[in-house]
Amino acid sequence: MNFKRRLLLSTFALAMAGALPSLANAADTIAIITPSHDNPFFKAEADGAAAKAKELGYETMVLVHDDDANKQSELFDSAIAAGVKAIILDNAGADASVAAVQKAKDAGIPSFLIDREITASGVAVSQIVSNNYQGAQLGAEEFVKLMGEKGDFAELLGKESDTNAGIRSKGYHDVIDQYPDMKMLAQQTANWSQTEAYTVMESMLQANPSIKGVISGNDTMAMGAYAALEAAGRTDVIVVGFDGSNDVRDSIAKGGIKATVLQPAFAQAQLAVTQADAFLKTGKTGVEEKQLMDCVLVNGDNAAKLETFALKD
Amino acid sequence: MKRMTLTAACLAAAFGIAGCKIVKTAPADDKSPSADASGDDARIATILSDTYDAKLLPEIAAKALPPIDLKAKLAAGLDTAGGQRGAGDGAAWNFAVAGQGKVVAANLTSRARTLDVDVDGDAKSDLTVQLGPVVKGSALRDFAPALYDFTSFRDQIEFAKLGRALNDRAAGAIKLAEGDPTGKMVTFMGVIALRKATDAWLLTPTVVEVAP
Repeated sequence: MNFKRRLLLSTFALAMAGALPSLANAADTIAIITPSHDNPFFKAEADGAAAKAKELGYETMVLVHDDDANKQSELFDSAIAAGVKAIILDNAGADASVAAVQKAKDAGIPSFLIDREITASGVAVSQIVSNNYQGAQLGAEEFVKLMGEKGDFAELLGKESDTNAGIRSKGYHDVIDQYPDMKMLAQQTANWSQTEAYTVMESMLQANPSIKGVISGNDTMAMGAYAALEAAGRTDVIVVGFDGSNDVRDSIAKGGIKATVLQPAFAQAQLAVTQADAFLKTGKTGVEEKQLMDCVLVNGDNAAKLETFALKD
Repeated sequence: MKRMTLTAACLAAAFGIAGCKIVKTAPADDKSPSADASGDDARIATILSDTYDAKLLPEIAAKALPPIDLKAKLAAGLDTAGGQRGAGDGAAWNFAVAGQGKVVAANLTSRARTLDVDVDGDAKSDLTVQLGPVVKGSALRDFAPALYDFTSFRDQIEFAKLGRALNDRAAGAIKLAEGDPTGKMVTFMGVIALRKATDAWLLTPTVVEVAP
């Protein structure tokens, strides 16, 4: 429904552009395709990209693929049919998305990827991703410190098709596993989902009541896990997340979740649009395809400065 | 196979062909490691043996500044201090540093062992030298983006494995004598990563020698 309405709006915008040739440039459209905005991270991304696109004089076509690669493929067809000039994409799977991005490229539409990578280079023009490994190490170092370098813990993993799930887990373990007194008793995916994390945490806690900490692949799962711990009267368990959402910021302020790692989602989306604009105007972005943006640890010391995936200086 | 291309490109660069670009090519034989994660360790091992001693260490040595000189440059601005940025505009700046100083504190009980070193004689720590086995960051990898180009890696995971392998290689070469090094002189070389000019200096060392 939402999608159809937006498509209609965009079609309308394109029609307007056709009717007013002198304004044709102003009505060039950029498609912004992300996972569901239920997760505020993706909403911030879409908002950041849309704001920058408007600032640079583009119309936007904002779509969500709900982490479904088939739906993503259909959205690409729609965007291509609508004649968008560029696509900003947070994709629905590292392997599965290569074909969709290639399809756009074959139609002469450049794609600029944010947040998640695809497993091929030379297909998208830019792939700007958070330095998840660096960020995960920051989160793990804080987690280990909070745990006093020892104790039982559990890990919540993200969606397996997303490279970010694997890289964060690797970043966590490259740090934590070097502390012989840290013992992982359970490790399970909750597919980035808050409700799933609640259920998974409940069963993990039942099976492993000795856990002192939970390290989570993202903030929505951390929120779900903390809610389950709270319901079980286990607010002593140290929870660390990843993303830097306002929800976790508020939880940190109340002494709930202990830390998260900020990904500069808003800035990243804006950078992608800036590169798309440069590419459309000059045929190049002036930078390498694959780019990493560093993450920042957020804990009680700086949480108050966090707002919509950006830290105020 | 792409590593061989990379090696070839670097050799070409060494022979004076400036500005060459690393281009990916398809594997030409069956012996190259699998392109998926199962081939990562073999590929990373090849990269390390091709580049660490032959290219990375000489590059660090050639660009390393005494800490006092780097401090002066940083005072004028991070962007203009001559550092090397990792992949993209959101990455930290990396600087090679070499010098001597006095160990003012040592933490040898943590898994992330460190020495705090005073280089300007005020008895206060100016930089922290990481001794491993836990080494933070990816400064060695990010110092040389022409050598280790993110775009030519499958994904962040493979690229991260390289960062970790470089850290392990560097930390594995560190030999410390028994006993407390506090108060002794230390000679060091390595790379620091800075996001702001005012960040504390955390050195990933390629050389650490504590005087007896």
